[in-house]
Amino acid sequence: MFLHQFKYSFKTLMKKRMLIFWTFAFPIILGSFFKVAFGNIESDEKLKVIDIAIVENQGLEENSFYRESFESLSNEKDDDRMFNTKFTTEEDAKKMLENDEITGYLIIEENEPKAVIVSSGINETVFKYVVEEISQTANIVGNLVEREIMNNGTQNYAGEMPVINQEEIIKRAMKDSDINLKDVSKANLSYTMVEFYSLIAMACLYGAMLSMSCINQNLANMCSKGKRVAIAPVSKLKIIMSSVLASFLAQLIGIFILFLYTIYVLNVDYGSNLGLVVAQAIVGSFAGLSLGTFAACVLKKSEESKTGIIITFTMVGSYLAGMMGINTKYNIDVNAPFLNKINPVAMITDGLYSLYYYDTLDRFISDIVGLLVFSGILLMISYISLRRQKYDSI
Amino acid sequence: MTVFKAFLKVLNKNKIMIIVYTGILIGISVASLKTSETSTNFVAVKPDVTIVNEDVNNGITEGFIDYLEDNCKIIDNLKTEEEIDDSLFYRQADYIIYIPKGFNEDFMNGKNPEINVKSNGDYQASLAEMMVKRYFKTAEIYRDSNLSEEDIIKKTNDTMDKDTKIEMTTKLDTDSLEKMDFYYNFASYSISAALVYVVCMILNSFREEKIRKRTEISSVNYKVYNRQLLLSNCLFSVLLWFAYVIASYFIIGDALFSGHGLIYMINSLLFTICSTAIAFLIGTLITSKNAIAGIVNVWALGSSFLCGVFVPLSMLPDMVIKVGHLIPTYYYVSSNDKLAKLESINLESLQPIIFNMGIILAFTLVFIVLTNVISRKKAN
Repeated sequence: MFLHQFKYSFKTLMKKRMLIFWTFAFPIILGSFFKVAFGNIESDEKLKVIDIAIVENQGLEENSFYRESFESLSNEKDDDRMFNTKFTTEEDAKKMLENDEITGYLIIEENEPKAVIVSSGINETVFKYVVEEISQTANIVGNLVEREIMNNGTQNYAGEMPVINQEEIIKRAMKDSDINLKDVSKANLSYTMVEFYSLIAMACLYGAMLSMSCINQNLANMCSKGKRVAIAPVSKLKIIMSSVLASFLAQLIGIFILFLYTIYVLNVDYGSNLGLVVAQAIVGSFAGLSLGTFAACVLKKSEESKTGIIITFTMVGSYLAGMMGINTKYNIDVNAPFLNKINPVAMITDGLYSLYYYDTLDRFISDIVGLLVFSGILLMISYISLRRQKYDSI
Repeated sequence: MTVFKAFLKVLNKNKIMIIVYTGILIGISVASLKTSETSTNFVAVKPDVTIVNEDVNNGITEGFIDYLEDNCKIIDNLKTEEEIDDSLFYRQADYIIYIPKGFNEDFMNGKNPEINVKSNGDYQASLAEMMVKRYFKTAEIYRDSNLSEEDIIKKTNDTMDKDTKIEMTTKLDTDSLEKMDFYYNFASYSISAALVYVVCMILNSFREEKIRKRTEISSVNYKVYNRQLLLSNCLFSVLLWFAYVIASYFIIGDALFSGHGLIYMINSLLFTICSTAIAFLIGTLITSKNAIAGIVNVWALGSSFLCGVFVPLSMLPDMVIKVGHLIPTYYYVSSNDKLAKLESINLESLQPIIFNMGIILAFTLVFIVLTNVISRKKAN
């Protein structure tokens, strides 16, 4: 009986095209969109070589350390190259700036450097910083040389103008600080991964539609098949359990396909602990199953309304878990942590995130426990509401 | 009038979806409003930095922290290491600096003490690193010139305070234009989703077998019937567009009443018309009401992701942009983005935008012809 019911529940599920679209295909489609849109974001946020121009005029000739400093910063062979510098006339520089070919240009008038840019921005800020750095270094070195001459060589060089050593300026300007900066950040810093984690979480919860639809088949108030089941002399628990298990199997197949797709096609990185990632997904799917069971048993509404409620719950949950922008998750984690402690989508997302980013498992375990508690409560309520259900007339 | 009344009834049934998509547009636009000052002066980008100081707060350590406070946005509400790691991952902090114990003394004695840092690797973090290196480079030059400790700190800070002259050429109110660009780009998602959903729902309701049979035997001429249905749908589209324009005023403000604002409105009207044509085409193709939600989502999300609505065009891979060229949304978004950078509005500077508008109109024509061909085939 159990196996029979299990088999046919599964077969019926697979025939419901809309259901399969939302639980199997939609996450895959959405994941592909994410990949398309977010694929380049992180590399775009790294500092790139900035195109600039320097006006060749009298001022530049007198302060040739600007030319040499920028030439050295624009060295194509250097891996840390910061600029792509063109030396040109003022008109050309203006034209290039208008046509968006350069970030800005440097012009030296009356020994004073001036950066001309279109509007504020990160590249403009960096450009300004570097110009500042060069002119400051020139200033300091100039002053120091002057001071040294004054101190040590008053007798020898009396009466002569102090000579500012251009080479010394360039050397100092190019020399990095001796300070030792040691980068101790964690290796896995790719934040767009969270988008995909929340997608997996959404797919887990969408599985609720499968279990809901399966259980509805056995409810006397939902369809005529349910009425027939209700009067049949079989254990209701067995029937419901077999349907629920059939939907769980379907759900796991869906999640498994999604995992394969995200790993091999979308190149999503789940960190090194793949076993625990799978465990997280199974527990997440279980939470989805509980949600579906709860919706089917407790809510006395049509199948469409139940689907609507599940989708709304999942979408609001996904939003809070950062699917529409990871900042949402962070802001809620910081400002209203309770909200994400009861939100199953956020718990699944957070579990996957902690497996990816942290070496310790504390956070992962607390997420798993949270999900199990969530599922336990929903299943308990469903059991109580379904138990000894009888209809005198329907 | 009968047709129009029935149209209003179906519309009323689906009002929730219209409200939802409008809510998303307004919600996200408001949430993304930056409180940046509108100014034509240069505003330097300030990286978000957290300082964990284990050293005494004086000497070069103090000078260094003061310097960072002036040039960075200091985030000081992170207490545990986990909070720091989280904020780094979610890009709330760009750069974390751990100043070790005894740093001041070691630095002054000419040792090169190690500073641990954490960086999220993006451009703001690179900028923060440049600042750190530059500060210590300057301090080192003074230190190596045998100045007193006090002098080193004072001179270093004086040096760092000196600004370079900056000239900004733009005369545009870039802040308002960015807001306008964002709002109107995002509106294309809401327009696509809401229009396609509603129009498909309406076409399908009218196409239900019983209703269609009743309409066919009624005294209403089918031409009048079709015209009324078409006009009702167009009226709805224009009203939706108008509502979004009014909503944009509350988000953007008076800057909307400018040459730029006018072109944003015209552009979005053209896009609305094109979307109506797409909605008709999809509505003609779909035969089941259940499939509508799925198709609407795939179409609206897909065109938005591929054409730079959610993620700016400049950040999309070239391959995606090539595919985007096949979708009208691309031309709409690309016009909007160009417009945001347009210094002066005249026939010559508007040429690329007018060209894009032409393409959107061409798409509209193609969709109308396709719809006619398909519906005629279906009728046969």
